[in-house]
Amino acid sequence: MGLTELIEVLSSDTAIQVIASIVKILIVLVLCLQVPPLMVWAERRAPAMMQRRKGPNRVGLFKFRLYGLLQSAADAVKLIFKEEVVPRGANKAVYHIAPIFGVFTAMMVACAIPYGNDISVFGQKVSLSPIHLDVGFLFIFAISSLAVYAVTLAGWASNNKYSLLGSLRASAQMISYEIPLGMSLIPLVVIFGTLDLNKMVLAQSAYPWSWGVVKAPISFLLFLVCMFAETNRAPFDLAEGESELVAGFHTEFNSAKFAAFFLSEYVAMFVLSCLAATVFFGGWQTPFIPYETLLSLLGGMEWLAALAGFVCLIVKAAFFMWVYVWVRWTLPRFRYDQLMSLGWKFMLPVGLVNLLVTTLVVAFIENAGRH
Amino acid sequence: MTQELVFLAFASLIAICSMMVILSRNAVVSAIFLVGDLFCLAGLYASMEAHFVAAIQVLVYAGAIVVLFMFVIMLLNLGPDQRKHLEVSAPEIGVLGLTIVGFLVIGGLLLLGQPTGVTGPLTAEAIDNAGGNTYTVGMVLFTKYLWPFELASMLILLAIIAAIVIAKKEHIKDGDKRRLAHG
Amino acid sequence: MVSIDHYLVLATFMFLCGTLGVLFRRNLLMVLMSIELMLNAVNLVFVSGSRLLGNLDGQVMVFFIITVAACEAGVGLAMVIALFRRYGTVDTNFLRVLRG
Repeated sequence: MGLTELIEVLSSDTAIQVIASIVKILIVLVLCLQVPPLMVWAERRAPAMMQRRKGPNRVGLFKFRLYGLLQSAADAVKLIFKEEVVPRGANKAVYHIAPIFGVFTAMMVACAIPYGNDISVFGQKVSLSPIHLDVGFLFIFAISSLAVYAVTLAGWASNNKYSLLGSLRASAQMISYEIPLGMSLIPLVVIFGTLDLNKMVLAQSAYPWSWGVVKAPISFLLFLVCMFAETNRAPFDLAEGESELVAGFHTEFNSAKFAAFFLSEYVAMFVLSCLAATVFFGGWQTPFIPYETLLSLLGGMEWLAALAGFVCLIVKAAFFMWVYVWVRWTLPRFRYDQLMSLGWKFMLPVGLVNLLVTTLVVAFIENAGRH
Repeated sequence: MTQELVFLAFASLIAICSMMVILSRNAVVSAIFLVGDLFCLAGLYASMEAHFVAAIQVLVYAGAIVVLFMFVIMLLNLGPDQRKHLEVSAPEIGVLGLTIVGFLVIGGLLLLGQPTGVTGPLTAEAIDNAGGNTYTVGMVLFTKYLWPFELASMLILLAIIAAIVIAKKEHIKDGDKRRLAHG
Repeated sequence: MVSIDHYLVLATFMFLCGTLGVLFRRNLLMVLMSIELMLNAVNLVFVSGSRLLGNLDGQVMVFFIITVAACEAGVGLAMVIALFRRYGTVDTNFLRVLRG
């Protein structure tokens, strides 16, 4: 095949979309791989700050200590090159599959977040989320509901009583809190009238008073609580309550498999933070500067505008990541029955009433607008 | 071409997973293959432009129902099936024979008769113009099928109550009495 | 071109697998899972039929089937737990008495 033919094939519409998809997936992959090291670092330095101690600050490059930022890199290298020990009674196949399941679901959900407005590449409209669906919202729910398998299978396969108890707890918890999570986000679908996340961001506009958090504050509070429960983070980290279950479902996992659980947990946190930013805080919208104004300010360069939007989204998501760390080192762990009764007896009724009221208000406003 | 490849990939995965569901000795492994089955079915639905059903399939079936199965399997903590030979009784062989004959008949009918190409008004383009798959399914669900929908919600309520009543421990009542007696 | 026949053959195979599972597995949980397999075969027929006929009633039916499957799984599993509590087994060979 000659060079001209190759160029012709590569510049066809389908080829541009396919290449763009591959590039987008790679970017999201690389982005997700950056999250755990940074979060590990933050999770060591933040409590040190709160407890008035120094925290890890030694590992650096030559004379530059970089506030101990390279400690996470050292940890990652250690985890990957450690010898792998598989427990004798373990169900081997499931034991190997479980961590993969976790990473797979977390990464797949990360692909459905809109990281910026659509841009045009060689005259083709390219969306800035690798998986762009008109049911993107449902897609995120569907795939993240599969995350529970990683925890469940891990606990079962390692043939350890503590692991099994941890995974039973985790699966019951994640199923229970999925319902309030859905209930907290459905009012937003009703308000913005779309299941497409990018359209939802566009509907919120750049001004904070038209963001989801102002239009549905109760939903936001419910979502914030469910965020912690869905990722099994403190104060809802009963699945790995170290005082009673050693380390819960990942007690028997070590080296690269343990790192995979780490990765999936932090990516899941990152995705939920991005979702919170997208649905409640205007996603990639730069505050107070509408997209058209931003575009004209940047001289019509869509690439730069997209980059600005991306940075905005990451900053907003980073705030929620900080909330995760903040809450972890502030609140004590819940008891299991408290966790369950909070989910079923408080969050679910409040979510249902919130949904009912929101729907009635939206219907009333639409009716008033029609007359 | 893409359609064929997608179908071939998903169909072969579905076939393998379906067989593994009934063949594997361990109930947890069966459940894993069932999840794979449901996931591939969702892919097949998505390739047929039924996005809403695909999402619901993964969300409810794979994300909730099979998790429930797995939860119960772990709760009972059953070991793998120890039985080496299948114990089959005469009536079961009869039923099996009838089933296979039935499937052969259906297959023959499929090969003989061509599907009558009745095409309704809603092609993929028409659905896109009407506001997407989710919107149109919602419109059908909440107009034509409103009463069945409400009945389905009643059914779920009944099932919840039934499940709680059936699975409740029998000695809870005594425990309550004791607790009440102690103040 | 993928025609409806392909989907029907696939659904038939799934249904057959489900039937065999119900007939030959002795674990009650496995029987319930095989029933799910059969329900899914029916769902596949409904969706492909909906696509062939160009109307959405088939997809709505799938919605209802999933609802019924959820109820069935919930009640069925509750019964499995109750049986296991009482008899200590979920093997259908040992569960032959209808009296409590």
